[in-house]
Amino acid sequence: MAHAGTLDIRGLNKQYEVRGQTLHVLQNIDITIEPGEFVSIVGASGCGKSTLLRLIVGLDGDHQGEMLLDGQRIRGTSLRRGIVFQEHRLFPWLTVERNIALSLLNSDLTEGQQRATVAEHIELVGLKGFEKTYPHQLSGGMSQRVAIARALVNRPDILLLDEPFGALDAMTRAHLQQELHRIWQAEGITMILVTHDVEEAVYLGDKVVVMDPRPGRIRKTIPVPLAHPRDRSSYAFTTVKEAVLREFGEHGAADLAEAPLVAERLEPELSAWQFAV
Amino acid sequence: MSQEKSSGLVPPALRGWVLPVLILLVWWWAVASGWSNSPLLVSPVSVWERAVQQLSSGELRAALGASLWRNAWGFLLGAGAGLAFGVLLGWSRWAERLVGPSFHTLKQISLFAWIPMLSMWFGLGDGAKVAFVAMAAFFPMVLNTFEGLRSVPREYLEVGRVCGFSLWQQLTRVIAPSAAPSVFTGVQLALIYSWLATLGSEYLMAAGPGIGNTLIDGREHFEMDLVLFGVVVIGLVGYALNAVTGSLERRLLTWRDRTVARY
Amino acid sequence: MSSISGATVSLPLSSAPASRAPGRHLPLQWLWAWPFPLAVLLLWHLSSVWGWAPEQVLPPPVQVFRTFADMVVSGEIWSNLQISLIRVFTGFGIGLLAGLVLGSVMGLSPTARDYLYPLFKAFAQVPVIGWLPLLMLLVGIDEALKFLLIAKATLVPVTLNTSQGIQGVPNRFIEVAKAYGFSRWQMLSRVVFPAATAPIWNGVRYGLTHAWLALVVVELLASSEGIGFLIVYGRQLFQLDVVLASVLAVGIVGFSIDKLLSLAEAWLLRWRKPGL
Repeated sequence: MAHAGTLDIRGLNKQYEVRGQTLHVLQNIDITIEPGEFVSIVGASGCGKSTLLRLIVGLDGDHQGEMLLDGQRIRGTSLRRGIVFQEHRLFPWLTVERNIALSLLNSDLTEGQQRATVAEHIELVGLKGFEKTYPHQLSGGMSQRVAIARALVNRPDILLLDEPFGALDAMTRAHLQQELHRIWQAEGITMILVTHDVEEAVYLGDKVVVMDPRPGRIRKTIPVPLAHPRDRSSYAFTTVKEAVLREFGEHGAADLAEAPLVAERLEPELSAWQFAV
Repeated sequence: MSQEKSSGLVPPALRGWVLPVLILLVWWWAVASGWSNSPLLVSPVSVWERAVQQLSSGELRAALGASLWRNAWGFLLGAGAGLAFGVLLGWSRWAERLVGPSFHTLKQISLFAWIPMLSMWFGLGDGAKVAFVAMAAFFPMVLNTFEGLRSVPREYLEVGRVCGFSLWQQLTRVIAPSAAPSVFTGVQLALIYSWLATLGSEYLMAAGPGIGNTLIDGREHFEMDLVLFGVVVIGLVGYALNAVTGSLERRLLTWRDRTVARY
Repeated sequence: MSSISGATVSLPLSSAPASRAPGRHLPLQWLWAWPFPLAVLLLWHLSSVWGWAPEQVLPPPVQVFRTFADMVVSGEIWSNLQISLIRVFTGFGIGLLAGLVLGSVMGLSPTARDYLYPLFKAFAQVPVIGWLPLLMLLVGIDEALKFLLIAKATLVPVTLNTSQGIQGVPNRFIEVAKAYGFSRWQMLSRVVFPAATAPIWNGVRYGLTHAWLALVVVELLASSEGIGFLIVYGRQLFQLDVVLASVLAVGIVGFSIDKLLSLAEAWLLRWRKPGL
């Protein structure tokens, strides 16, 4: 069982200077995440949710405020914090098992232990038999599962997921949501999921954090006191979902519809940091 | 396009032979019937005889050997230097800023225009030829290495950072494999251009043995059979080069689902 | 990136450009291109002032520029360039037309491909340079030689790329056209050729590159006028300044051709996503 970590974020602020103007990406983010919790974050584009994840995992630095994992300041990347991106980012020149094993390069497991845990995680994500295939032979859903295995194989304290299923079709998405839930229950590690799919957020999370854009801040945290397994069509489920959707004002779900991750649509000066959202 | 059931009297496998055989027949008939009394109209038989003569007298071996030797050395030197320089340009933004534009300017100069200068400085011997061949291999190698290094996706580097890779690990496990296909293209182009340069240098610095010189000799003495023989040999070398690089590519880059776009 | 002496192949680029964080662009980037060549120029000048190498081997830079200026003013450069340019574009035109036709025929008809492709492939194995002595025997050293050689240099890449481009048109486009009942002509003009434009254009680019290469070679070897001839002329008189001035002219042409091709490409393929 992986050790789950407590994440404490206090007074987190981040801004970018673009052409003399200061853009506040994140403003006064305060959040505590208990060990083993599953937190979903939803918000419209520009609310900084991706930036938040990148700060937590250590890919971006330069912020004000504190981020503590189990009381220790977060500085740079670490094997204790894993991340699954929206694109699977598998290395095309490595097989499935080698891609997963890549995470273990700097761990202190022996070779035998590495091989065992890689095999274990391949089975965990349901890809037994595909050890020697190359990424170009896999479907989108399968590739994303490999990416999840790669992030988990280190037994991180906390797993971050940045819209991991956004690029997949509805059926694969539903299937992978179930898989993710199963893995979470099996491993018990803390998970933070960023998504703009409210249903996904409610289905998976213990609580849903709603964020506002420009500047990015937390508007409200809505607990999801539903037992697992959750029925998407149940009354209770829909109530919580409505509660979340209501936070998005008269525009409702339209606010959540995100522009595709292509810089062309955005104004040139902002594209540099908006791409990270 | 759709797989049309090809009709016709000749089975598909043999069709490629129809035209060459026809040409050969017409050629042989033209000679036999005395269609022209130009000394240039030699019979295919005499080309064959010339081939035999060249092979048995060891002339072919000497000429081809000399050419290939120069080609190999020039290629290794040029591609090696090209790789190093390409890595420098790709790795260091400063190097690219300072030296890049000069390099890109120099590469605009058509390759063979350098020969007269080289021959003025280095004479007409092997050294000058190898220097030229090295130049020919240098440019495509630099360009493709540079391109490969610059195209390493930032996304992969981030995966490396999340896995806690050291600089060395990023280099060997992310950057190098990602740049490998481009570098390989550079090698292929360098091979092609170095062979072109070998031949060209033999024409323009015409001293010493070489298959290009064989051709020039044939031309000067109006020995069409020698010239034709030389052309065939050159074609075979070209074919061998393509075959080698093709099979190398298939073996080293099996993880790709598409092949390099070819010239 | 395309060039005259070293062409890269169009590989699909990475999914996202290696973008830099805002603010890391150096101001006046282009200024930094100068220190290195200026330093080389200085070294060159000093070496001729201090006599490190005999004047014949390394004339002073001032003299080279003066010679270049003289040659430009006297019209020597331009008249020779004109001849070269006419040759290259004529030969290129011939090769391009022949290549497009041959490539289309082979691309559209599997039967034609069966008959023609092996012979063509064999023909393509011998580089332009290899054909030179043979052609010199057959047609002498007149304009015909130049046109034929340049045409051959153009023909091979254009044919190959056209043929492969047409063959590579995705079936799904053809199926859409069939679903809308396109006639054969409509299919070709509205689906096949537009879809094959990118690879065909690649072939054209390589063709021009190789045409220019062939022109320089043939003028170096077998010509009494043209920019290549100027280089040889200077070489024979052991006047490196003439050689260098002519090489400079060759470089300028090469650069211009490159720029023209980029502009044409940007217009022709303006529908393409950036990064492809």
